[in-house]
Amino acid sequence: MKYGLFLGCNVPAVRPDVERAIRLSMPRLGAEMLDLEGSVCCPAFGSFPSADETASLAVSAWNFSIAEELGVPMVTQCGSCYSSLRMALEKLHENGVLREKVQGLLREKAGREFCGTASVRHIIDVLHNDIGIDRIRASIDRPVTGMSAVVQYPCHTLFPSEVVGFEESSGRPRMLRGLVEALGIEVRPYSRELQCCGGAGGFVKGSFAGASEFAFRKLRAVRAETDADLIVVSCITCLEHLDRMQAELAKKDPSFVPLPVFDYNQLLAVCMGFDPAEVASISTIPREAVVERIRGAGR
Amino acid sequence: MIDLSKVNAGLWREIVENCGDIRHCFTCSTCVAGCPAAEGSPPLFVRDLVRKILLGLEESLLDDETPWLCVTCSTCEEMCPMGVKPFEVCLAVRRWQARNDESFIPASVAEIFETGHTQPVDRVREKRRAVGLEEVPPTIAKFPEMLEKFRAVLRETDLVKNNDYMFRE
Repeated sequence: MKYGLFLGCNVPAVRPDVERAIRLSMPRLGAEMLDLEGSVCCPAFGSFPSADETASLAVSAWNFSIAEELGVPMVTQCGSCYSSLRMALEKLHENGVLREKVQGLLREKAGREFCGTASVRHIIDVLHNDIGIDRIRASIDRPVTGMSAVVQYPCHTLFPSEVVGFEESSGRPRMLRGLVEALGIEVRPYSRELQCCGGAGGFVKGSFAGASEFAFRKLRAVRAETDADLIVVSCITCLEHLDRMQAELAKKDPSFVPLPVFDYNQLLAVCMGFDPAEVASISTIPREAVVERIRGAGR
Repeated sequence: MIDLSKVNAGLWREIVENCGDIRHCFTCSTCVAGCPAAEGSPPLFVRDLVRKILLGLEESLLDDETPWLCVTCSTCEEMCPMGVKPFEVCLAVRRWQARNDESFIPASVAEIFETGHTQPVDRVREKRRAVGLEEVPPTIAKFPEMLEKFRAVLRETDLVKNNDYMFRE
């Protein structure tokens, strides 16, 4: 299986340990991750999609043309990249006028072809549906024991399900749970499991107090209702935001004890025995204790 | 009181290029119920944006910064019973605002024009080396000749043509 790894902006710049974890863990599962050389910002919803539709689709089509040249599906961890690319692809397929305009621009000004054969996958979809739980279970030496987690489903992989969905039901996603359980870690349900993290778009920047309270409610519910040792996400925004918001909450409320947050591929890479200094080294809430428990006790 | 003699009755045609048909909206507020940014201050109520568009309340809409609070989660899009595509409405209002008042144009478009990215992916070399990665990722950051072509494409768009002072080489 070959894929084109779409990096976007935040993963390679802010959390390159996630990029490293993906680059190490996926080949171990038989998924070869090719570079999409020359790719650019997806574009983020707050950029070109908020200013000029033709420019926005031209940027997306630039990225598609690179993957089409390699003939591989694009894979992204970032929820926003995933959703932006999927929605753009949908528009380019539906709207012939815009498609031809964008095709013309790319051809005349850059010598690039957008044909429309590109496809965009989220990494949860690839892990669960292409690689499969059994193969993941077999890829680690010994399952983790005695630990539990809560999972954060990336909103951008759920809605609108017609365009971005790969779960059987967008109201009852289960794939990330299955992936975490495959490592031996139990997954605890809680009342706000399906509340999005609130970290994407302009909410945090435009209304910090409102966005903080929104995240705090979720985080308090995790603490009040579960005995989870960690939070598992599969989106760069969820990763950064839940990490940062727990630090904010702990500042305001010293009785709140924050939980370490892991991207799924980071957790997987640690379980596979890769060096945590490479695959899980950047965070606000310290992760060392949980990493040591995974690597040490019972293994 | 809204004075309908002073509104722009054709406003909806200017804004909602590729959205669902917003005339189907009956203000049921499902788009508000599931919206994280409805907790903002001031809150984002997509149903209000739709009313303003349909009633032609141009001035009020041009003063309204709430579409920029949108989290982009698209829960509204999933839930809307009338297929109005509320998330697309948010983006369409942002674009209309950016066309009519350049102060709405997000700084990130100029960053992407300049570097291809919204983050300094080529200026975190030590951080990337420390985790065993190549110092500059194999995106456009590593291929300056591609960046030239990328900019050439964008230069042909209305956004860059009409606001060329914002876009540096």
